[in-house]
Amino acid sequence: MNVSCFFLRRKFVPYLEGGLRPREARRLERHLAGCRPCEDLVARLRAGHLAARRLGRRPPDPSPRLPEFEELWARRPSLPRLSPALAVPALLGVAAGLVMLVAVSSRTMNSRSRLGFIASGASQAGPEFTPLAIREFAGNSRNRIVTEGFVHNVYYDEQERTLHIKLVEGLQDSEPFVICEIRDVRGLTIPQQGSRIRVYGLARFDAQPGRGWHEVNPVMNIAVLNR
Amino acid sequence: MARVVPDDREKVLVQAARRGDEAAFREIYRTYREPVWSVVLSLVGDPLQAQDILQNVFFKAFRGLPRFRFRSALFTWIYRIARNECRNHLRKRGLPVVPLEDILGSRYEADTARVADGGAWTSADTLTGAVMQLPFKMREVIVLKYQEDLSYDEMSRILGCPPGTVASRLNRALAELETLMRPSEGAR
Repeated sequence: MNVSCFFLRRKFVPYLEGGLRPREARRLERHLAGCRPCEDLVARLRAGHLAARRLGRRPPDPSPRLPEFEELWARRPSLPRLSPALAVPALLGVAAGLVMLVAVSSRTMNSRSRLGFIASGASQAGPEFTPLAIREFAGNSRNRIVTEGFVHNVYYDEQERTLHIKLVEGLQDSEPFVICEIRDVRGLTIPQQGSRIRVYGLARFDAQPGRGWHEVNPVMNIAVLNR
Repeated sequence: MARVVPDDREKVLVQAARRGDEAAFREIYRTYREPVWSVVLSLVGDPLQAQDILQNVFFKAFRGLPRFRFRSALFTWIYRIARNECRNHLRKRGLPVVPLEDILGSRYEADTARVADGGAWTSADTLTGAVMQLPFKMREVIVLKYQEDLSYDEMSRILGCPPGTVASRLNRALAELETLMRPSEGAR
């Protein structure tokens, strides 16, 4: 693929839709006549485009029934409302609290670094953690475990205020997996996708509806082995 | 139903909602409930999960209205919240969503109409199933483009990436869709 292919390929779908100006369309057709890979790609895109055009808006009478506004409104999370007279002092109080929190958490972070919060070696988390492979969680009866794997993805749950790391055995795997729940993220260097990490914590099974997965919750320590 | 609310009406609605006017919230919900539902269901595939997500989308939208700056249409902003909610939900759930036969069977009539150009034909079930098999980033461009009929510029705003990236992603998605649809052609 040359530079010309790269830029013209972005116009293939508009071309298939008839959305290009005649001059642009003629230029693209001249290119296709002399470029077999692009010609093949247009043929595949045409088939995909014709199929995709059959997608329609989902029916307006969905099942299950969509909630009426009144139901939604009744269930909305309550938002604290402050009168203007109270708002300014409250904001000042929050700001002061944040300053204190930053000061305390920076001291905590330093002490965690000394404890090897992001470090390697099982001995740093204590010998009582049983090594457990991700695939072994299903038959596991141990509580305090240490496991290793690659970070598949990281997600912050705003409602639960926890960081979730999905850990898999291989870089290309999506299963088996465990979800590592971190409740206190202060001072944590969040591992990147694809990093290999070692996680210490309690092995549990989350049986809530829609979940049904093994997890390390809470995570007590993490060691980033490589990035 | 007009999907794009005229700007002036949108401004009036949003400003009224910011003042806590329940009628304005109701109007926003009634205007966008079904389009958002349509997108969310197509992205997650499961009506029960889609119902929860729909609710969260509007909770977040209502709470976030004071931060809405009219830099985009209101529907673009709400779609963006919906898309992020779906993505986060699927990430957290950790498993790819596979279309459920019973959902497809009850919600879609098998449509075996032929596509005039090229003679290819397929059922709507197969098509929906193939779209659900696409990775999330590909699925969302297909849904926004072909189901919601959005422009590249609108998709770009919702997805938070340049129009050129949207175009490249759409190419990959259509090529992948073509590959996924091949077995059904063989079954003719």
